[in-house]
Amino acid sequence: MRTPPGPFRPGFWKSPLRGPWMTAVLGSLLLVLLAVVAVTGFLSHAAYQPDLGRNALVDPDVPFTTFFDWPTGPSWLYALTQGLHVNAGLVAIPVLLAKLWSVIPRLFQWPPARTPADGIERAAIALLVASTGFLSATGVANMQYWYVFHFDFVKAHYYAAVVFVVALAVHLVVKLPVALRAYRSRGVLTPLRAGIAETRPEPDGDTVAVAPDPPTISRRGLLAAVGGGSLALLVANAGQSVGGPLRGVAFLAPRRAGGFPVNKTAAGAKVTDAMVGAGYRLVLRGGPSEIMLTLDDLRALPQATHTLTLGCVEGWSTRQQWTGVPLAELARRAGVDEPAELLVGSLQPAGVLRQATLARGQVADARSLLVLRAGGEELTLDHGYPARIIVPGLPGVHNTKWVGSLEFRT
Amino acid sequence: MKERYGASPLHLLAHLAALALAAWALLQALQLGGWERIVLWLAGAIMLHDMVLWPAYTTLDRLARRGRPAGWVNYVRVPVGISALLLLAFFPVICDKGERTYMRVSGESWEGYAGRWLLVSALLFIAAGALYLARSRSGSSS
Repeated sequence: MRTPPGPFRPGFWKSPLRGPWMTAVLGSLLLVLLAVVAVTGFLSHAAYQPDLGRNALVDPDVPFTTFFDWPTGPSWLYALTQGLHVNAGLVAIPVLLAKLWSVIPRLFQWPPARTPADGIERAAIALLVASTGFLSATGVANMQYWYVFHFDFVKAHYYAAVVFVVALAVHLVVKLPVALRAYRSRGVLTPLRAGIAETRPEPDGDTVAVAPDPPTISRRGLLAAVGGGSLALLVANAGQSVGGPLRGVAFLAPRRAGGFPVNKTAAGAKVTDAMVGAGYRLVLRGGPSEIMLTLDDLRALPQATHTLTLGCVEGWSTRQQWTGVPLAELARRAGVDEPAELLVGSLQPAGVLRQATLARGQVADARSLLVLRAGGEELTLDHGYPARIIVPGLPGVHNTKWVGSLEFRT
Repeated sequence: MKERYGASPLHLLAHLAALALAAWALLQALQLGGWERIVLWLAGAIMLHDMVLWPAYTTLDRLARRGRPAGWVNYVRVPVGISALLLLAFFPVICDKGERTYMRVSGESWEGYAGRWLLVSALLFIAAGALYLARSRSGSSS
């Protein structure tokens, strides 16, 4: 069969920078970044403790879920892992684009598969590119509240991540020797010494141009440009993850407004003034008998104050001073010693996050509170008045607002 | 075997294992509501780079380079590239795509994203221009 014209002809490719060393460097950088994104992504899955109660957002029977209890310290743990997830994901985008650019002649190789081995390798690479692009695109849209995809983000992002991990693993098995050979023959950093004038095509490799143009940028120049792109995306967003005065620097972050951000308003959660008025009762279950507490009863109980960070899955965080009744104190009042689990129920009438189950260590931690006041002021309705949960290191949405019931289980 | 297949049996087994695991995950995803859109987004993820982004930036880059001395073009394509990258990654906030959802959940509105993107882009162009000026001056004086 004749080779089709255009990019299918080797002479089409003109860049003198493409070659195994360039791809190895971009691939190594991308590997580090995507490893951070993947590990923190699966840690986030674990932080939701899907094996407890109805916490699971993905199918609860899915294998390789959690085999450890998510710790309660440091309180900024989840803000850190999720901040890394979102920001390393953004930083990876320019590196990913450059990596794809470096190997794109392979997309147009003719014949499409030289051997069965080549064909199956390309099928795995198609899955790798599809899942990486899918994860980047859905992640970027989701963190900016653009739910244009109209499917369950958490589940689709999770299963795409499984595809990504296996496709990346097999890609590494095949390509790591190629990258190591490029590093050995050309030196890990040696090609970076060349300026534009000294930049020559790599001596061999199937992405090296057969008839290259003169260079318009050096290899270090290309890497600097990619790094500049990554830095721009980081500066545009990272302030919302760190919080404090840096929030204002994050010029494109969705959560750049100052103060104490609201994740979901009472109106959005369909919580009304009537639900939290004079008739409000907190129900404690699990002990010998149900106990009903009014807001004044709660105010009369021993209070504790802690400054803790609340981290959101979308990659932003806020650090506040919280005052309220320790959950361990409420367990004692309910008559349950060392509860194994706590099912927290919200007055919010609908939604999967109207309830959350906390683990033994989270209920026992002295800093875990049923919060009545934040920053010295009574909670506002949007922040969960009359009472909300704060547990150090817990994903933001599991710190249930408008708490109506606490069920301690042994 | 090696001659016909083109690699060692380990290569084949590793790929079969990966494809089987990936197929399992994809089958799970296909049971979700809106699975057609998941397939569409997976296919689109490949097409977005290979059929849209790559042809677009390659064509623009070739136009920018045409007949111009080497080195000139980098002062333009680096700031333009970074500006385009910011638009690509923050398209939803810059073009107010998620604003209604954001207002519903947070009680606040989004303001000035397009303006800040334009300002930062202008800063990048000015910085690149200043750098070009400084380098061409020092180049001609030496």
